[in-house]
Amino acid sequence: MSKPLRLPDLWRCKSTERSIELLLKRLRKDSSKSRANLIDDEALEWLKPRVLIKPDDQEVVPEAGTAIRKDSDEAKAQIAAGYGMVGFDDAGPKRVKVKKSTAEEEEEEEPEAEPAAAEEGKAEEEAAAEEETPEEVKPAEIVETAEGEAEGVPEELEDTEIEEKDETAPKVDAEEEVLTIKPRVKKLANQFNFCERAALTYVFPRRSVETQTVPPPRANYGSTALQCIIFDYYQEDYARKMREKEEEKPKRLRKKEAKHAKTAQQIHDEQLAQRIREAWAILERLVNQNIYDDIAQDYRYWDDPSDEFREGMGSLLPLWRFQFEPMRNHSVCDLQWNPHYQDLFAVAYGSLDFTQQQKQGCLCLYSIKNPAYPEYSVITESPIICLDVYKETPYLICVGRYDGNVCVYNAQLTLESSYQYKSDSVRDKHSNIVWEIRWGARLIDGEASFFSVSGDGRVVQWAVMPGELQATTIIELRSAAAPVPGPDGTLITVNIYRISYNYFNNSIYASCSGDWRVKIWEDGRDEPLFMFELGSPVGDVKWAPYSSTVFAACTADGKVYVYDLNIMKLDKLLSLVRDPPFTPGVVEEKFDDD
Amino acid sequence: MAEEGGAAPGVTEEKVIHTYPLIRHSDMSEEMRTEAMELSVTACEKFSQNNELAARMVKESMDKKFGPAFHVVVGESYGFEITYECANICYMYFGGNQAVCIWKCS
Repeated sequence: MSKPLRLPDLWRCKSTERSIELLLKRLRKDSSKSRANLIDDEALEWLKPRVLIKPDDQEVVPEAGTAIRKDSDEAKAQIAAGYGMVGFDDAGPKRVKVKKSTAEEEEEEEPEAEPAAAEEGKAEEEAAAEEETPEEVKPAEIVETAEGEAEGVPEELEDTEIEEKDETAPKVDAEEEVLTIKPRVKKLANQFNFCERAALTYVFPRRSVETQTVPPPRANYGSTALQCIIFDYYQEDYARKMREKEEEKPKRLRKKEAKHAKTAQQIHDEQLAQRIREAWAILERLVNQNIYDDIAQDYRYWDDPSDEFREGMGSLLPLWRFQFEPMRNHSVCDLQWNPHYQDLFAVAYGSLDFTQQQKQGCLCLYSIKNPAYPEYSVITESPIICLDVYKETPYLICVGRYDGNVCVYNAQLTLESSYQYKSDSVRDKHSNIVWEIRWGARLIDGEASFFSVSGDGRVVQWAVMPGELQATTIIELRSAAAPVPGPDGTLITVNIYRISYNYFNNSIYASCSGDWRVKIWEDGRDEPLFMFELGSPVGDVKWAPYSSTVFAACTADGKVYVYDLNIMKLDKLLSLVRDPPFTPGVVEEKFDDD
Repeated sequence: MAEEGGAAPGVTEEKVIHTYPLIRHSDMSEEMRTEAMELSVTACEKFSQNNELAARMVKESMDKKFGPAFHVVVGESYGFEITYECANICYMYFGGNQAVCIWKCS
């Protein structure tokens, strides 16, 4: 059976009352905290020296010295009397029968009364009566035993505790009654076994850490802002942009351009060569001028004093001889002055010797200022028979060739290049020699056109289209020349080499033929107006531009005849030309100066 | 160069003056660069008479957009040597004769 825990008698002691008084006192007044008042301050209870709180009814234990000694005679006497003998009570546990002295029994009577009263209330405890008696006996006995032993002071205390605990069982009611009346009791800690212990958890030490981050990277930059610098940079940027635009063009076009484009070095070289050439040309001219100075003077201002003597006769002065080395074997087939440059004339080298054909022809442009070498020469595949210089664009020369082709040359191109246009050798060419060729008026579309006459009887008009020549047959002639009735009635069927119209009178024209005659005709008439007989076949005849009555003719034997109809005479003006020219091709300007 | 606006050619003796904004040196990010360019063009056009106001306008806008401590110089004839935070400099020409330098450095 378990007993409810009863407050030990300790609680009901004087000290308890006193502590309560203190509490009340403290509540009443404001006690300042000082060492003096320490005793009154319950908060600092722990500072107070521990004072054991003793119950009021605690047995007073004599001092150690006063206690009965173990081996003393009194102790022996008591032991002999049976005091302090411990024996078990068979009635129940924890009962110790101790024989006690009668004196002690009497002392126990008072506390026994109360336990007796308390125990009566308890039904569990059947052996209440029995208990009482052993309890009565027990405390006395215990006390006695305690007294019997001097060292049993703590034991006694313990025993009294036990005893008191047991005693409080019956005393519950009484104590409860007592406790309820009293105000709140300060709970007393167990002063014997109580140990106050405090602990502080481990506090981690603190530390300060400082650091500085790496600043963002920096760099230096410097420049100058000036108008000139700004302008230059803009130009550069603009040029770069233009180049980028060029590169944006489709690659095809670029490739084509690349083919034709020359490297910068090449261009530079060409330019250099060009300038050198120019310098040389000027030098050449200077040298020539020095050499041929008197001739140049004569060219301009020649007046043969012998003219005064001869009536009606003048004289021709041979001025220059033009030669071209590779063409020595060739004969001059056609000659024409450049309408633009007064000192330039074109010569066509070919061959009229049908028995022995030359393989090549040549087109040369001579300048009077330099009789030693042509300014421009082009070697062609076949002999050139005739040529004409285009008046509008004097650098274009059309030629008719022995093999029937017509070509247009561009004198502006460099010497290495060949002709600019060539007639199609299959379809459009003449089947026979191209005898004559002349530039015509511009077509409606603005293209240049020229006419050609050939031995096959066709007169063809050619249009200069970009990249090719287009042929249009104009008329077909039945025969090259009409038979000309001679003065003696015989029909002379020798070919007429040239017809030259009078510049002033469109109806008058002169003709020269292989029958040694030069005839002046008028349109509509069957008979020639005039006829001149020369010693040999006349190659060419031309009217003078400045006079309606003057014309020149040249013969196969190398003579040039100038006739003036005004004077009505055979005004032969001789000139010896070594190479048989068939055409004087003449030299209208030359007439000017005579 | 993003803008090629109104190249007003002052044709004198076959000289064409270009006025479009032209970056001379810059290591800004793309969007920051275009922003700076447009800003300076606007400012220069607005304050064509007063360089200081133009520079102020540019600097304040740049500070607001990209952080503090921008420096701006607008002028026609000057030399300079600066320290700048990397990826935060823009030196450009505008109007054929003006040079604008923007850089950040705290």
